[in-house]
Amino acid sequence: MEIRVKCRCGNGGCSEWAIVELQGVVESQVSSIVTSIQGLEIGNLCRSSSSSPETYTFTIGYHELSGSKIALKKPLLVLKKHKDDDDDEEMKNPRVELEVIGIVRHRILFKNRPKSLISRPQCKEKKLAS
Amino acid sequence: MMIYFGPSISKPSSSLKSAGKESKAAKEMEMAVDGEAKEIWKGGAGSVLSLAPGSSIPVRYHSLFASHDDLLLLEVDEKLLPDILNHRTCIRGQPDEDAVLCTPTATYAMKFVGTSNTVLLIPPGDATSSNPEMLVEDTDKQDIPMPQCIASVIKVAPGNIELIQTAPRLEKLKTLLSQRPYRLEEDLDDGLQLKSGLYRWEDLVELIQASEEEIRVGLKSLSAVELDGFWRIVDQKSMDGILDMILNNSILHDWRLNAIVEDEVLSIMESDGFPRRIVLHCLDTYGNALDGMEGCVWSLDEKKVCLRFAARVLGAEKMKLEVFMEKWTRNAPSGMQVSLQMLEGEVLFEKIGIETWIRPFSVSALPSTPAERFAALFRERPKWEWKDLDPYIKDLKVPGLSAEALLIKYTRRTQPSADVEPVFSAR
Repeated sequence: MEIRVKCRCGNGGCSEWAIVELQGVVESQVSSIVTSIQGLEIGNLCRSSSSSPETYTFTIGYHELSGSKIALKKPLLVLKKHKDDDDDEEMKNPRVELEVIGIVRHRILFKNRPKSLISRPQCKEKKLAS
Repeated sequence: MMIYFGPSISKPSSSLKSAGKESKAAKEMEMAVDGEAKEIWKGGAGSVLSLAPGSSIPVRYHSLFASHDDLLLLEVDEKLLPDILNHRTCIRGQPDEDAVLCTPTATYAMKFVGTSNTVLLIPPGDATSSNPEMLVEDTDKQDIPMPQCIASVIKVAPGNIELIQTAPRLEKLKTLLSQRPYRLEEDLDDGLQLKSGLYRWEDLVELIQASEEEIRVGLKSLSAVELDGFWRIVDQKSMDGILDMILNNSILHDWRLNAIVEDEVLSIMESDGFPRRIVLHCLDTYGNALDGMEGCVWSLDEKKVCLRFAARVLGAEKMKLEVFMEKWTRNAPSGMQVSLQMLEGEVLFEKIGIETWIRPFSVSALPSTPAERFAALFRERPKWEWKDLDPYIKDLKVPGLSAEALLIKYTRRTQPSADVEPVFSAR
């Protein structure tokens, strides 16, 4: 079986995706009322005012993470699998194609344990924005 | 470590809202399948990556957030990017094989590497807050007139696929082509029209886990030839027959073995009933084409021809060295000089008492993957001296691993004292 890797972005025109990476697991405390987490806010990503080094804080609930933007040594391609099963016959292999739909060159990595916030996260954000 | 986010951020009304969104989401999903994913999944990656110092951006789950198992992350070296972006790569493998990615010239193993981190994947596209809910928070910030950007996470990536360059998996090529070797009788027999056991280039490319260039090299080393669109190995008996006829004709017509005129040999062989294309294939297997004054001229390769005669003399048996040498010298075409050096990687010598015996053991019949190759070698002999071992491993090429590294990985080297040859045994 052969799966072609396609790309419609043209030369060097792949749109860049972003990765925000943190240790551990983000869990929603919204349980019974909201069944889906789509559209829900995870937290607030702030870039500190000092331009170098490029540091970020990510406030999730009452936790604050600090991290930095890192260029990936090797880029990550975002591939989307297309399955073309026009004929539903089980005998025929469905033609599978992979399409490059984006590229990731940077990630914002939060590798440290979170700090607990005593004040509300919004206050912190306003202070930075002003 | 667990990170929670409180329900206070999202309004209780969101349950109602998301219900309304569902239908829209489904519609968007449908469009996304059409390949316009990047247009639909406005995630705001750009805003995240170009966040100005001292500013912030809310990060939320996308309205289409899901496991999206059809989205994969593939780590690629910068030098491989042009091949991938210009559609020159594909993934090959049967359901029972581990997939490999092939560029036009190289083969890469694909390995999924999981992560325990939470990797939030944010698609591109400007995502201004079309959700009025998000703006509620900002009503008190009238000094910022810009619409607020949001970053939307489409998926949490469980890891990514890594590529590791590997040797082409050509073992199967030999197996496939050996199913139905071409025989001279075949051309005389019109009844043979069944196509089973025959492979076209397109079939091989689908079945063999190697790049196109590596498959071509593999076909060449198997001395395969394309006949009527199918890649075939010519049965050894047929090849021997043709080679003998070429050599006999050289004597009859006084041709020099390093300058056989193609037109002459073809017309004589054809009049004897040998198909032209097979004669050409035989010349190509045992010789080299040169451009001469009288058109194309073939020079037979002394080593290749003598090796073939050695194999015919030896058969599958072991022989006393003197007996073998006498027969080999007698059978080899006149004008060609046999030498034991030609047999490197083809035979093994054994001392039995004062006699030396010779036995066929061809490197081309051994497995091509290092682990299996060394296993086969140590089954043959538990201990190898370097000069004997070298011919049987020098064709092993593992990207990123030197010959020394291979030896360290698969053998144990013993050298009782500095003036004694080192001996290699199984680890």
